[in-house]
Amino acid sequence: MSKVFYLQPDGVEKVIEGTDGESVMTTAVKNGVRGIVGQCGGALSCATCHVFLAEDELDNFSAPSEDEDDMLDCAATDREPNSRLSCQLLLREGSDIHVTIPSSQL
Amino acid sequence: MTTIDQPLADTAYPFLPVEPSEAARRYAAICADRPMTKMTMPIGGDAWIIHRNSTARAMLGDPRFVREPFRTGERTVPYFMEFPEFLKSTIQFEDPPHHTKLRRLVQKSISPKRVRGMRDSAVKFANELIDEMVAKGSPSNLVEDYSIALPIQMLANLLGVPPEDRPKFESWSASTLSVANMAPEQIAANMGELVQYMTALIEERRREPREDLLSDLANARDKDDTLTDAEIIPIALILIIGGFDNTANFIGQGVLSLFNNQDQLAVLLEDVDTVAPTAVEEILRHAAWEIGNPVAGMGALVPFVATEDVDLEGQLVAKGEAIMIDPNGANHDAIAMAEPATFDVRRADNPHLTLSFGLHHCLGAPLARMELQVAITELFRRLPGLRQDGPVVINYDNLTQPITSLPVAW
Repeated sequence: MSKVFYLQPDGVEKVIEGTDGESVMTTAVKNGVRGIVGQCGGALSCATCHVFLAEDELDNFSAPSEDEDDMLDCAATDREPNSRLSCQLLLREGSDIHVTIPSSQL
Repeated sequence: MTTIDQPLADTAYPFLPVEPSEAARRYAAICADRPMTKMTMPIGGDAWIIHRNSTARAMLGDPRFVREPFRTGERTVPYFMEFPEFLKSTIQFEDPPHHTKLRRLVQKSISPKRVRGMRDSAVKFANELIDEMVAKGSPSNLVEDYSIALPIQMLANLLGVPPEDRPKFESWSASTLSVANMAPEQIAANMGELVQYMTALIEERRREPREDLLSDLANARDKDDTLTDAEIIPIALILIIGGFDNTANFIGQGVLSLFNNQDQLAVLLEDVDTVAPTAVEEILRHAAWEIGNPVAGMGALVPFVATEDVDLEGQLVAKGEAIMIDPNGANHDAIAMAEPATFDVRRADNPHLTLSFGLHHCLGAPLARMELQVAITELFRRLPGLRQDGPVVINYDNLTQPITSLPVAW
């Protein structure tokens, strides 16, 4: 079990205890976290699960693939150096994840 | 959900048209009872129809469901009607890896970011249309004067149709519209001319690229592969047919459903800019149930075939079986959302599947959402006193039952 901390642009935070192996996107969608749409279901073809990953957690994940990198350029809110598609961030035992949700996904 | 003082809802599926409130009761009961029902389709034999929202998402997100046997003609598409041949050559019948290649190429040109860049011109054009309506004076037919014109202009912009060719492009494209109600041979002739025109335009953009979708596609290179005209034309056509017709219908249905729910119209008018985004999602989910028509318990998005035995929330779908989702069910599943029968323009949690989900989710979703938001916002911002001014005309002969006339005054 690990926890995902979802910070909304208005400062409201929601903490979800997720299932290891599932993505930050799936965990959000299943638990009704606002602002993560995930319309393509993780097929890397919609850019609607964009998040900003906590700077000190960037190294906990492998760098974005070429496809993820391409799709980040398509996101509705401009990408930052810590931008990720949350469908590519998988929960791992004992390692909490902190993400900030952008102001717009659509 | 069943309460003590209500009789149990009928869980038979499919069901004939009933009042929307009764349809909602039945869908809630069906979704509580089982994830899907097997039925014999009017064309193409047996198929599973998914009702539950979560089951629909699970299937749409599972790569073990494909469309290849339909594309190759090995199998007839099980559906309510004969599936048009040309649609089978489009991206929605492709599977990975070819689907991935096509989708990626188009996706960039119609991404949330690109669409955001088109928003200003949509606002400007919507206001020009409203200016014309105001100058002519009320009443006005909203379908003709507004809901058809806006999406077609956006599409011409996106594709890169030059302004001097817009009238031709509009009349060819409009013939594909269900609201146009044209004879089949006339539609075929117009489609032929449209394809010819697009082919010439692609050739031109290949020689001299500009900042538009056709240029992107004409010059797209995916590793060493280039897209052929035979690949580009169906993409352009599916955008024209899928995008334009559906968007025009949703604008009409959206406005009428607001007229029919004055309390919700009042909520929207209090703060149009803030409420429009959730109002649009609610229109996508539920407006078709609020335009005064009975609702039938049938209808589905394009089917898939299982490539192996798959357990979907307790139901075994055997290898080779066809399966599809009924968006009406998934959009009125009381397990997935609160009070699905209520039209609530501020609904915050709205997991509707009108634009589908997964690999084949609507390619034009970002554009459709932006156009609908702009259409609703500008119309009610400029004309807050807008009201219905005469009987609405709906074409019941067409599968999508479009509104062909919506008289309005202000």
